[in-house]
Amino acid sequence: MGKSKERIAGYLFVLPALIYMLFFVGYPVIDNIRLSLIDVNVMNFSSGDHPFVGLENYKILQREGILATTLTNTIVYTIGCIIIQFICGLGFAMLFSIPFRMAARLRGLVMISWLLPATITAMVFKYMFSADGIVNELLMQVGLIPDPIKWLVEPVTAMLVLVVANTWIGIPFNMILITSGLTTIPKDLYESAAIDGANTMKRFFKITLPLLKPTILSLLVLGFIYTFRVFDLVLITTHGGPVDATQMMSTYAYKLSFDEFKYSQGAALSNVMLLVLLVVGFVYMRLVNREEKA
Amino acid sequence: MSIAVSSIHRSRRLRRNAIPLLSILLVAVFLFPLYWLAVTSFKTESEIFRTPPTLFPHQFDVKSYTEQLTSSNYNIMQGFRNSALIAFGALAISTLLAIPASYGLARFSIAGKHLMLLLFLVTQMLPASLILTPLFILYKQFGLLHAPFWATILANATAGIPFTIVTLRTYFITLPKELEESAKIDGCNIFTTFWRIMLPIALPGVVVAMVFSFLFAWGDLIYGMTFISKEHMRPITAGIYNFLGFQRTSWNHSMAFGMVSILPVVFIFIFVQKFIVSGLTNGAVKG
Repeated sequence: MGKSKERIAGYLFVLPALIYMLFFVGYPVIDNIRLSLIDVNVMNFSSGDHPFVGLENYKILQREGILATTLTNTIVYTIGCIIIQFICGLGFAMLFSIPFRMAARLRGLVMISWLLPATITAMVFKYMFSADGIVNELLMQVGLIPDPIKWLVEPVTAMLVLVVANTWIGIPFNMILITSGLTTIPKDLYESAAIDGANTMKRFFKITLPLLKPTILSLLVLGFIYTFRVFDLVLITTHGGPVDATQMMSTYAYKLSFDEFKYSQGAALSNVMLLVLLVVGFVYMRLVNREEKA
Repeated sequence: MSIAVSSIHRSRRLRRNAIPLLSILLVAVFLFPLYWLAVTSFKTESEIFRTPPTLFPHQFDVKSYTEQLTSSNYNIMQGFRNSALIAFGALAISTLLAIPASYGLARFSIAGKHLMLLLFLVTQMLPASLILTPLFILYKQFGLLHAPFWATILANATAGIPFTIVTLRTYFITLPKELEESAKIDGCNIFTTFWRIMLPIALPGVVVAMVFSFLFAWGDLIYGMTFISKEHMRPITAGIYNFLGFQRTSWNHSMAFGMVSILPVVFIFIFVQKFIVSGLTNGAVKG
């Protein structure tokens, strides 16, 4: 009796949240697939007369080059971000792992960039990288550039600004996870390596990095997933511009659905996004499983 | 011999002075955008356009704030109130639903437990833009766009719920089982055990989950700008988005807006900083 009573209690605890998520996330995800296979636009939105078009919405995205452009942009942005923020996060984590009096407090301070609303971060970076902004001013005073760079007007530099801004947000996340990964490495490994005459560089590459491998793996995958879905940052900083040079899958899907009222095309584009995320997640789980078995 | 000793001595001194100094410098550079946000909000319009830009406001000016207190165009207090309403609403829903769920998934043997966990984990990672269009259509059918605060709150809770479940479940798992057994002997049933014994013990984890549920909704832009069409009901983030869309951005006013919007974040940050590190590593790595 006790067991079955416990089981019922377990369901009572879990089901409300599960039903909520199935209704507000599960259903929309499924409905998005349906939407992408019919044609819902501003003309027939209210009438309910939505013809089935098969994969036509996906084909349109491909034909008009939207798919290639946004997919490339999003991947370039994502890879750029996760590599740079990983390196910076690792640097910060290593630096603060050296025992000195203010280490913990400084590490704590760095975390704030991660908690701020992305909208605010985007606004500040947009201002700092504006033509007469502080970044140009500093670079000119140091003598690195003769004239101000129009960061947000040129495709490549606009993307660079986005990567920099997002890296700023992402560094604490990387730092914290690496820090906790570092604590799992036994101290005596370093001591015996030091006795064997291994220098700092050697200890880093032979002990720290290999033992951090599981942390690094999950960091890169989580980083990919959380970076790939960027929206606010791009919308505020560049609005996808100049032209479509920084248009991401999410921002373009939004544009299709809510600026051009091509709901079905927007749905199709975000489904491609989902597909990419699912593939990455699947590969990750395979890797983790293999790691655990090995 | 003496050379070796002095070199050790020197490297010790290096560690004692150079590393803290370097760290402080790096962190200062890292936090510069925040400083720039604050400083700009206190500058006058004319000082902002001065070249070279002033690193500190020569004329400390609070007009960017006061002007927006009374402005009918977009009122800073109203924006704050809207954001708070949305964030507290989402927090309430996610707390009520997700905390029991995380306990249930940590302690009871339920059929399909692993599938449920996977579902929560996946929903946590889905982009908001994915569910936006179907939600919009759903809301329209149910007339929920006429209650745009509710529409936004309900959507925002979908971020806090999975986060809470994933992080708090691991927290509950680490608590010793004996606690529940002795509670049972003392006459607690399953629900009173959860409410009176387990919840208070798990408080640090609960605080982290609640903080994040709040912050997710506080920073929300996409739901607020999509579901709320009336300007005066929109959250601060959407207000900023509108601000920056103008022909000529008024940076000091925008930054004042930004300052008001990060106020609660900084406040929360100061108090729960310590919890956040443990909460985050629990959920993200082991979850």
